[in-house]
Amino acid sequence: MTPKSDTKSAFLNNVNERSDELERISQDILSHPESGYKEQRTSELVANWFRTAGFEVQTGIGLTGVAATLDTGKPGPHIAVMGELDSLVVPGHSFADENTGAAHACGHHAQIGSMLGVAAGLSQAQIKAELTGRISFFATPAEEYIELGFRESLRAEGQIEFFGGKQEFIKLGFFNDVDIAMLTHTGGETAGTIGVGGSNNGMIGKTVTYIGRAAHAGGSPHLGINALNAAHLGLAGIHAQRETFRDSDTVRVHPVITKGGDAVNSVPANVQLETYVRASNVPAILNASEKVDRALKAGALATGATVEISTSPGYLPAKYDKQLTEVYRNNAASLIGDDNVIELPHSTGCTDMGDVSQIVATIQPTANATSGTGHGIDYLVENYDLAVIKSAKAMGLTVIDLLSDNALLAKKISGSFKAPMSISEYLSRMRGFRSVTMFSE
Amino acid sequence: MSDLLDIVRSLALNRIDKHGDQFINDAKAVYATAETGFNETRTAKYVADRLSSLGLPVETNLAMTGVKAILKGSKPGPNIAVIAELDGLLVPTHPGVNADTGAVHACGHHAQIGMLLGVATALSDDEVRKHLSGSVTFVLTPAEEFIEIEKRLTLKEAGQIEFLSGKQEMIRLGIFDDVDMAMMTHTTSGNGDSAIAIGGTSNAHVSHQVKYIGKSAHAGGAPDQGINALQAATLATNAINSIRETFRERDVVRVHGMLSRGGTSVNAVPSDVLYEGRVRAKSVEILEDIKERVIRCYRAGAMAMGAKVELIEVAGYHALQQDPGLIDVFVRNARKIVGRSEVTVNKPDQTQGGSTDMGDLSTIMPVIHPYTNAAVGVGHGDDYLVEDYERAVNIPAKIMTATLLELFTNDSLGAKKILKNHTPKYSIDEYVEVQRSRFSSTLYEDE
Repeated sequence: MTPKSDTKSAFLNNVNERSDELERISQDILSHPESGYKEQRTSELVANWFRTAGFEVQTGIGLTGVAATLDTGKPGPHIAVMGELDSLVVPGHSFADENTGAAHACGHHAQIGSMLGVAAGLSQAQIKAELTGRISFFATPAEEYIELGFRESLRAEGQIEFFGGKQEFIKLGFFNDVDIAMLTHTGGETAGTIGVGGSNNGMIGKTVTYIGRAAHAGGSPHLGINALNAAHLGLAGIHAQRETFRDSDTVRVHPVITKGGDAVNSVPANVQLETYVRASNVPAILNASEKVDRALKAGALATGATVEISTSPGYLPAKYDKQLTEVYRNNAASLIGDDNVIELPHSTGCTDMGDVSQIVATIQPTANATSGTGHGIDYLVENYDLAVIKSAKAMGLTVIDLLSDNALLAKKISGSFKAPMSISEYLSRMRGFRSVTMFSE
Repeated sequence: MSDLLDIVRSLALNRIDKHGDQFINDAKAVYATAETGFNETRTAKYVADRLSSLGLPVETNLAMTGVKAILKGSKPGPNIAVIAELDGLLVPTHPGVNADTGAVHACGHHAQIGMLLGVATALSDDEVRKHLSGSVTFVLTPAEEFIEIEKRLTLKEAGQIEFLSGKQEMIRLGIFDDVDMAMMTHTTSGNGDSAIAIGGTSNAHVSHQVKYIGKSAHAGGAPDQGINALQAATLATNAINSIRETFRERDVVRVHGMLSRGGTSVNAVPSDVLYEGRVRAKSVEILEDIKERVIRCYRAGAMAMGAKVELIEVAGYHALQQDPGLIDVFVRNARKIVGRSEVTVNKPDQTQGGSTDMGDLSTIMPVIHPYTNAAVGVGHGDDYLVEDYERAVNIPAKIMTATLLELFTNDSLGAKKILKNHTPKYSIDEYVEVQRSRFSSTLYEDE
């Protein structure tokens, strides 16, 4: 048996040898951004990379997802190392697609590089021999919860059920025997650091349609029912709830009006909104959602309009596993020094890693390698060595710790992880979030 | 006969000229002791004493503070009421506020009392009175201003009143049972250039006590445990504003209100909030439709916050319908006294949007409610002042006196013709029933 330090050295050497290639792939994806469930090119690139590396590859998971597994040949724990395929839509970003406005303003392109780095580094017989269990690489679609209309049409066609790619992976059984999951996100905290721990809000999504009655806005407003006024009152009602949101629940409700009327000389009869309802825990999401619904209904009641509130499952709150975090922290510190590994605060943003974290032990560290504002036009990965190479190394070293010695550590972490819900419970809960309410009087 | 009328009229009007200063002093005395509706004890006593001194039999404490005195002519005939309103308003910033009561005559009702005493003085002269075929009833009505609703509801609960305005109560109590028609003259600052204006209508209205019931909690420590009744009321007023575009101009809709209780202490989530609302429109029928929509807005505020709302509806006023025949007689006499160009006759549907309980009286008998242009400032504002007391008191006293004399002349031919041509909207019993049906109390919860 080789000492673990030798295995780790071999892994690091392997990654170093491929570092140019890994950074190049990330930058290639940066230059060809594709938003969720449309990541055809990115998906093909990932699949081809795995094929070239000798992996058996599954594609088309949740439309564009890719999976490849490195099997040590010895039965044992199953670790998922992940990267997200999708971009945002941020027209005006310096790497935005001219036609679609898609842009990697959230650094997912670097995640693919770091995930492939783990695969590249571990795919060696001498390393595999030291490990027990399996490592799967999941390139997941559609982490950004956007373009709801498009995703709703995919759902209607039966192509997807959930709006998040990892949710589709879970539904399709890819996490059935996964014990541990990890992914490294880019971040904008102190440059050169890696953040660990933290947590994320969960959310549900709502699309809201107010139906009024059109009439000549000048000639006969008394014959109309103003759906825009109904929507405004609904929004005012939502704002009036805010003082009831507890600090500890970090509730976020942030609606947009996607359609405000048809013609200015006609009483608006069809007005549409979208909103998220986010909070740090599911009861708080449900509580805020109930308040949002009653406020939206009140807008309809006041004006005599009808409101249809369609609620969709969003993402669950993310809670990252403490023991796993410690293993990762030590490995990250070995690469960049103790002082450069920082504790992440709770984030009020949401991710489908939250869903994963509800069923398996999960971490999502951040490589603080960017400049600009997340989701903004100026968000750029500046430090590819940290975002791709060191991220791959920290994850790979963690995998080695977990699966060495007959996967003792992985078994311990997996064994002590108390899943908030089973996969079937997860699916029924998510499906339970879906509802359509019509209200009028 | 008309020669005789001229002689009697001269006699009567001379009497007003002779005692004119007294009537103005009466108005000013009442101004100094302004009292709000159903509290007009000093005002009522003053007027009762003055009417008694004219030798008229006086009834007092009618509908709490109302006063009635009948002047009988030499022959039987129609009974015509001359009305004056006893009550003042609450306008705390008005310079004339009575320090004891906080009330002020910012609507000129004190002038009505002066003119009523002028008419009573003129007609109670034996030489004049013997020519009257019928009688004149002087009615001092409490509480024309529809205010202090919470206080009046307490009176209602205690069984002291049933309806919340003086004329409404007096109709219910039968005080108008033997009255055939009624007139009064209101001061105004808004006739334009002419001294006298008549015609037009007023809005019907309904009053709402909208009580939002939330849940109290520490506003800093546990706002998540509270239900904010103030937010509910605020959302409701926003909702009302958003439906204004659906109100037609021709319906003369007015929806307004005030927050008379907005919370108890600033560090507690407000859980007991009272919004007092008023909905007006040009008829009780149109009011029904508008009112339902406003109620939806009240409920929406509660629904949005998860609060409860209790709505107490209080029967308000009916739209004023002035009798065209009575208008004609008044206009003829007004022209003789102030000159043709000084009398404006408004179209029957003209209104500024305000309301009066003369509207209620107009549903059961012919009435007129003319205006005399004697004030400056904005009605109900803190700058509303009666400036020209001759116009405020003596001129309308003369016009009403002359109008009465014409109605009674020739064996009350004029009055009888008006009564023959008039079909009241309601009988007194019907009116009382309609008003009772306009009261309700509803609790909306868990919507």
